[in-house]
Amino acid sequence: MQALHTAATGMAAQELNVQVISNNIANLRTTGFKKQTAAFQDLIYEHVRRVGAQASDQGTILPVGVDIGGGVKTVGTPRSMTQGTLSQTGNDLDLAMSGEGFFKILMPDGTYQYTRDGTFQMDNQGRVVTAQGNPVQPTITIPNNASGITVNEQGQVTVTLPGSSSNTVLGQIGVTRFINKAGLQPVGSNQFTETTSSGAPQDGTANSEGYGKITQGSLEQANVDVVSEMSDLIAAQRAYEMNAKVISAADQMMQSTTALFR
Amino acid sequence: MQNALLIGLSRQMTLERQMDVIANNVANVNTNGFKADHSLFEEYLNSNAHEDNFVGSDRRVSYVQDRGTYRDVGQGPMEATNNPLDMAINGNAFFAVQANGAERYTRDGKFALSSTGQLMTSDGNLVLGTGGPIVFQPTDHDINVAPDGTVTVLEGTAKTDSIRGKIRMVTFDDPAKLTKLGANLYSAGSANQQTDSKSTVQQGYVEKSNVNSVGEMSRMVEVMRSYTAIANLLQQQSDLHKSAIEKLADVPA
Repeated sequence: MQALHTAATGMAAQELNVQVISNNIANLRTTGFKKQTAAFQDLIYEHVRRVGAQASDQGTILPVGVDIGGGVKTVGTPRSMTQGTLSQTGNDLDLAMSGEGFFKILMPDGTYQYTRDGTFQMDNQGRVVTAQGNPVQPTITIPNNASGITVNEQGQVTVTLPGSSSNTVLGQIGVTRFINKAGLQPVGSNQFTETTSSGAPQDGTANSEGYGKITQGSLEQANVDVVSEMSDLIAAQRAYEMNAKVISAADQMMQSTTALFR
Repeated sequence: MQNALLIGLSRQMTLERQMDVIANNVANVNTNGFKADHSLFEEYLNSNAHEDNFVGSDRRVSYVQDRGTYRDVGQGPMEATNNPLDMAINGNAFFAVQANGAERYTRDGKFALSSTGQLMTSDGNLVLGTGGPIVFQPTDHDINVAPDGTVTVLEGTAKTDSIRGKIRMVTFDDPAKLTKLGANLYSAGSANQQTDSKSTVQQGYVEKSNVNSVGEMSRMVEVMRSYTAIANLLQQQSDLHKSAIEKLADVPA
């Protein structure tokens, strides 16, 4: 009976849906996290009677056909790259991006990764690094006697050095954007890598030419909306149950047939 | 005598197919832009034996067959996603997409961009505008889709909108003639397409499946009960047959 297999694809799809939703909820408080939604598509159809076929010698055309679908498949778990809300932390090196773009991070193997998580620190050499200790690009080294670190909306880092009345510009934190940012591949630790689908990285200056602006002393929160996740979770759970009901109904139908003519 | 079995069987076969249709609807209860299918049945009259010597003519035996599945093309609920590339159609139109070299139609407006900035479906099929595919530039931001489907962006530092194309919306005089191809796509078949002027695009929304889960569940119970009722009927018919043979063959000593 086809219905059994069809409902099984439905249960598998909803199981994946719950996985995606639970990952969103698990990352509710993850800085710079971008939520995912599962997208589904119907499977191919068996055309038992094809629509438009000739039904009689008189040339009658069937206005509708008998199309039996085979269920559902998951086509992807696209990431919603919408802006998360900014929350103030007051830390000098906490940077939030509002608008387009990612911070560029140099990994120990020489490759670059990209993040919206601006929880930066200073390492033992005074470099501005991520929570994992990888330097933000271009590398900015803050002298250990510097005070009053300021990062402006363009990402320019200035400090006050002792014995100097004016501010010293140390460099500029870069911002990188992709034409298809939803095509970036998540690698964990709030970071993404470039893929053939994301397009090549384009480095630029924050708060210009459509690049997002940098806000010092703030962090971008996850763009997960708890209420909608919870309602999606309930919907997924109910859909799962409904598919299970279909399986038990199909099972009962088969049972009544196998019980015939004992 | 055997007709009752065959008639019951014809009904059971259609019920089984109806169950398959319901199962597919339920499986796609979370599929964006999915349109539910429903089964149609018709009476199938068996041609009777022509024997004119009887006083009354033979009655024709009435079977059942499934004539077709019709599609509920009604609007599905809109879900807000806040994603600027998600679009839902309010009205009867379909998005036109390019799939495997042919033009196909979909109501699933969960769109994305390719690495070259072209607007495409989750499957990587190009979304067609009135003047071909819609392509964004690397410096585009603040994508806006007007209700009529016009896509505008702010490019780089520009303060005025640049037009990137217009989403092509297509309607059909008889949407029932569209064939479902799977992957949320339809092919036009023999349906005549027209450019739609009444439907509107809603940016930041996706159209959910229009499957009415309560209706599907109650139909499912109905199908299951009818099926088991016919199974009982077949059983009774068989028992009757058996006892008739036993009783008639029971020759008193």
